[in-house]
Amino acid sequence: MTKLSSALTQSFSVAAMELGFCSAAWLFAEQVAAYGGDAQVHAMRDALGRTYPVLDAVCAAWLDGERQPVIDTKAVVAALQGAKKAVIVGFESSFLDALLPQLHDIEVHLLSNGTVDEQTWHRMLSNFDKRVCSVDLVSFQRLVGSHTAILCMVYGATEHAVHVPPTWLRLFGDDVRAQFRSFVGWNVLRRSMYVYPRWLVEVPRQDFTRIV
Amino acid sequence: MSAAQAYLATLLVLTLIAQAAVPSLRVVIVVSGAALSCLLVTLLGIGSTHQLMAELPWDVLILLVGLGLLSEIFASSRLFGLVAVRIARLSQAQPRRLLIYFSIGMYLVSGLVNNLTALLLVLPILHILLKLMSFPQRYVSWLLGVLLVACNLGGAATPIGDFPAILLLSSGRMTFVDYLQRAAPPTVLALIGLLALVIGLVRPQRSVDREALTSRLSVEIMGRMYRGVHLDRRRFVPAALLLLIMLLCWTLLPAESGISAELVCWLGVAAALLINRRYGEDLLRTRVDIEAVLFLLSLFVMVAAVRHSGLFSTLSQSLARLPLSPPGQLAVFLLVAGVLTGLFSAGPSMAGLLEVAHALARHLPPHVVYVGLALSVCAGSSLFLTAATSGPMAQALTERAKLCDSQGRPLHFGFMEFLPIGVLSFTVIQSIALLYGWWFSR
Repeated sequence: MTKLSSALTQSFSVAAMELGFCSAAWLFAEQVAAYGGDAQVHAMRDALGRTYPVLDAVCAAWLDGERQPVIDTKAVVAALQGAKKAVIVGFESSFLDALLPQLHDIEVHLLSNGTVDEQTWHRMLSNFDKRVCSVDLVSFQRLVGSHTAILCMVYGATEHAVHVPPTWLRLFGDDVRAQFRSFVGWNVLRRSMYVYPRWLVEVPRQDFTRIV
Repeated sequence: MSAAQAYLATLLVLTLIAQAAVPSLRVVIVVSGAALSCLLVTLLGIGSTHQLMAELPWDVLILLVGLGLLSEIFASSRLFGLVAVRIARLSQAQPRRLLIYFSIGMYLVSGLVNNLTALLLVLPILHILLKLMSFPQRYVSWLLGVLLVACNLGGAATPIGDFPAILLLSSGRMTFVDYLQRAAPPTVLALIGLLALVIGLVRPQRSVDREALTSRLSVEIMGRMYRGVHLDRRRFVPAALLLLIMLLCWTLLPAESGISAELVCWLGVAAALLINRRYGEDLLRTRVDIEAVLFLLSLFVMVAAVRHSGLFSTLSQSLARLPLSPPGQLAVFLLVAGVLTGLFSAGPSMAGLLEVAHALARHLPPHVVYVGLALSVCAGSSLFLTAATSGPMAQALTERAKLCDSQGRPLHFGFMEFLPIGVLSFTVIQSIALLYGWWFSR
């Protein structure tokens, strides 16, 4: 595993960028376990966990017996009830694949995160077959209104704080709070991270209208 | 050599050297060189700008622009991305299979669409796989290098694959079918030979640590990245049907009908653009490769100016005076063509050398000269990374992809990394060109 880990680190970085941290982490846990059992998942956690805290938490979940992520789309659909448009902050392929078919009447916009180039971003979006539009930090202002909800991917939540992608900090502020219908956090990790949450930022839980 | 010949030839050579030395200014340099050629021709009293412009092979430009636009429609249908993902899956990310499958894939694609479009769409996907697998420098250099050469070979295999073949088709010296029948087999042979040498002797795959888990994960991740990407049939089906009709027309319409290759292309591409309405209009307004058009247009002007001076006739006579048999003269010509292409790239050398080839074709079977020339130009294009337009583009895309090996060391793909692949490819393709010339001119 030690020899393997250097190549795996890069692999995970590429996968996380295009699939999302949580979706990539579950894929890695699944594949590594199929290849070498729980011992290999443990070894992967040791080797990559400190660099990728979401992978560390997912490996812990795997070793605790969980075999797939909890994707509760019903709660998200309920939280977005009444909205005609949704702006999604953060990219998690497995979660979006499950959610989008449930959002029948809602126009969905994905906020580009700037971590991938334009060609890659459009390729990522082409997986949703024109069901989603791309929006950036400048143009999202045209979606302002009481019919638009913001949905952000959240990686673990405590009573007071949650971890979110850094893009959230550039979107959210006191002036923005009044401009949208609601701010929904979708907790895709559902457990606390054991190591320092690199790649993510901690924000107050009360930034969000609701965490599901 | 007369003074007019000396002035115009010097201007042409200096322009070619300058554009090769400063590639970032190559279009400005060549456009300026063409303007000076027009001035010289006028001042020397051997012609006028009007005459030079009337002699330009406009049909070649129509074919280049038309086929480029058709490539864009295919690209927007996501065809190339899906082909690349399928190849990655089929290869199971095994280094040797990856090299073989991607080379064959690029060869086939480049035979139908231009090299730049094919590379622009396939390379980013290959880069993802290279990032996922963290291959070592040696393997990455050979893989990318062989892919570029496969592109050049695919372009030379069909009359619509690349500029030199298009020039031959439009000159009317060879028919579509004739070129395809004679050029495709040697290019296939060259690809097989090159792959056999690379895999059997060079063995870049030996530098790769075999990791079953990494291969398995990479294939799985690629699958997830393209999980919902489908072929856009509304774009693909009409374009593919029109290309098929164009191919049939090129193959079946007799030359006496007057419906030339460029007219078939013009009509077919116009229909494809009309079917796509707004997108077709957008393509025409924004995606015509004006850089390539201006570059070639200017080269043609300079070559026409040199032709007016009578230099090509003088060169042909000198070649004919060499104390060699016609096959020997052909061998010298093909070798010179290969080296000149390596130095000045395919466009300039083909535009100039074709004039000399016409003279040689009077004493030898025309196909021997023309296909031999196309193969030599292909060999020259594969000699240096800078010899074909696709080379610097592949270099730029690879640098931008920020590839690393398993130790995290950055990987490069530049002139020096390509050189061993270039020398090997040049040797293989040029030998086949010479063999072709010798065999069919016996």
